[in-house]
Amino acid sequence: MTRVGFVLFIAAVAAVLSLPARAADRIELPEGPNRDLVYAKCRTCHDLQYVKESAGITADNWQALIEDMGQYGLRIPDDERKKIVQYLVTYLGPNPPKAAAPSGAPSPAVDGEAMYERQCSACHQAHGGGLPGAFPPLAGNHDLYRDRMFPVYVLLNGLEGAIMVKGASYNGVMPPFDHLSNAEVAAVIGYVRAAWNNAELRPSDFVDVDEKAVAQARSKPMHPAQVHAYRAAHPAAR
Amino acid sequence: MEKKSAFGQMSRRQFGKLAGATAAGSMLPAYALRALAAETADQIIPGKSAEMIIHNAKLGVMETPLTLLRQYAHTPKEILFCRFHYPHEGNAGWYASLNAPKREDWTLEIDGLVARPRIVKLADIEKMDMVKRVSVIQCAGNGRSFYAAKQKVGGGQWKNGGMGNVVWEGVPLRHFLDEQKVLPAASVKWLTAEGWDQPATPEGSDFSKSYHIEDGALDNAILAVKMNGEPIPAAHGGPLRLIIPGYYGNMNVKILTKLMFMDQQSPSVFQSMGYRFPLRPVEPGQFKANDYTLENSRPTYAHQIKSVIFSPLPEDKPGSGGVEITGVAFNDGTAPITSVQVSADGGQSWQAATIKPAESPWAWYHWSVRASLKPGQNTLMSLATDALGRSQPVDGLTRWNPRGYEWNGADRVLINV
Repeated sequence: MTRVGFVLFIAAVAAVLSLPARAADRIELPEGPNRDLVYAKCRTCHDLQYVKESAGITADNWQALIEDMGQYGLRIPDDERKKIVQYLVTYLGPNPPKAAAPSGAPSPAVDGEAMYERQCSACHQAHGGGLPGAFPPLAGNHDLYRDRMFPVYVLLNGLEGAIMVKGASYNGVMPPFDHLSNAEVAAVIGYVRAAWNNAELRPSDFVDVDEKAVAQARSKPMHPAQVHAYRAAHPAAR
Repeated sequence: MEKKSAFGQMSRRQFGKLAGATAAGSMLPAYALRALAAETADQIIPGKSAEMIIHNAKLGVMETPLTLLRQYAHTPKEILFCRFHYPHEGNAGWYASLNAPKREDWTLEIDGLVARPRIVKLADIEKMDMVKRVSVIQCAGNGRSFYAAKQKVGGGQWKNGGMGNVVWEGVPLRHFLDEQKVLPAASVKWLTAEGWDQPATPEGSDFSKSYHIEDGALDNAILAVKMNGEPIPAAHGGPLRLIIPGYYGNMNVKILTKLMFMDQQSPSVFQSMGYRFPLRPVEPGQFKANDYTLENSRPTYAHQIKSVIFSPLPEDKPGSGGVEITGVAFNDGTAPITSVQVSADGGQSWQAATIKPAESPWAWYHWSVRASLKPGQNTLMSLATDALGRSQPVDGLTRWNPRGYEWNGADRVLINV
């Protein structure tokens, strides 16, 4: 590393360390089928440390716990609830198998719509309608075309800070969805940018993001507050 | 350092070394630094000790290591355990703070089955006559992790640090309510308290707590505005908190906005399902986390009698020979603690500890006794009894319950000499 490079690197480290931290968003659970559903559905209300600390409870108890979560606001289809329970019982039960290595096989073509339902709809709701005061809508949201890369940064790093969307203010914290593959990130952003008449917002010269663009963004992690600053620096085209 | 997963298991000390290595020029990805740097409580609630044990960062849930807790007569805000039920982010971010909130416009609404509902300004409450209550505040889940010896219970795995001995000051609740002349209906049976906090999603149940209107514990309750002599920090329920001395933490509703006179208890899930204890002893598998009803269980109201060993702890690495065993004991404040029996040999022999008078009926009592440690493993135990004859179970697992509340088994500390 050159001296200048070294100084810049230290400055970057210092900048990251001085920001308020969001480690909770980075808690990892054991690799296994449908782990992504736990990431997508449970972090609306709490981070995953509760899940991790509960590791080792019996299948009955996981079942009861997930049923119980319905009363605290978890709204998911039965089949997803079953998959989540299956994952938890298997990988965070009393006798978990050794963690499965990621298969490394090329992932099959990704269905952006299915990905949206599975990963995004817990907060942003079906049809991208959002929830007033809690989660901004994605339907008719000009942020989608604020900048080619902005939604990629949001998915990979999360977003933290007050924003105005369609005349309403939101001030929640979106966790990072960096458990999604590059292809999945590209596919779900492509879907949301076209769905629910969002294509009408599309500038004429707009270039979609592909896996390569996502991979590049992934190699340069940002703090959620930095994503917020990036948003402010890129005014939405109207 | 090549694997991301390795970082999660690193201690803060190791992180310090690593940060040093980074300064020397090693390439550490920024995300790893961020993940590491975030593990301390001071970054979740500024001002909290970095030594706190975090159970949920998004909700600001953390407990105090006993090595810190034992250093203070009154538990300071920097180390007091913290438990919220909803994310303190966004619009709720203001209460992730140890500063007293500046909320001059704060009001307390008194409503429900009353002829004359009222809205009282906090500024007016602050002008009323105040009383002091030194009281243990304790999470109902404190000690949950110990139930795992029978069958592990889901949720935050609290050890003994979800408690503190705190000085509260405020306006006596009963007198305040009488003065307001809201004229409750004859059918009123419950008082319900609600706070400002709201669930993360609109489908989630709001947090509120109900008490029998004739509950004697309410005679000692206060609308608290001060904690340890200063305005209550937001993270601990300021600007206004209902303090019911001797009651578990969840009953002491934080950031209080509303009191309601009702003929039924709150339908909040936090009253009807969460924070409840079965009326009869239950066994794993026979009574499950969702089997609670209003009939077969009760809310986690009054502290069960409890004692906790503060010294020696394994961290103290005591040698063999004479040692002073110290700790605290407390109950719900309805009768004094009269005896603390201590064993240094796993319960084979017991001796009575000397108990210092407590500051108030609800404060913790300090106790101490001389004992001797032998080379090898020593199992220290403590067991408190009060003037009503109430005692801790020697085996706390007899009170196993599927949500893991109210642990009060004889405390056990293993010391290897």
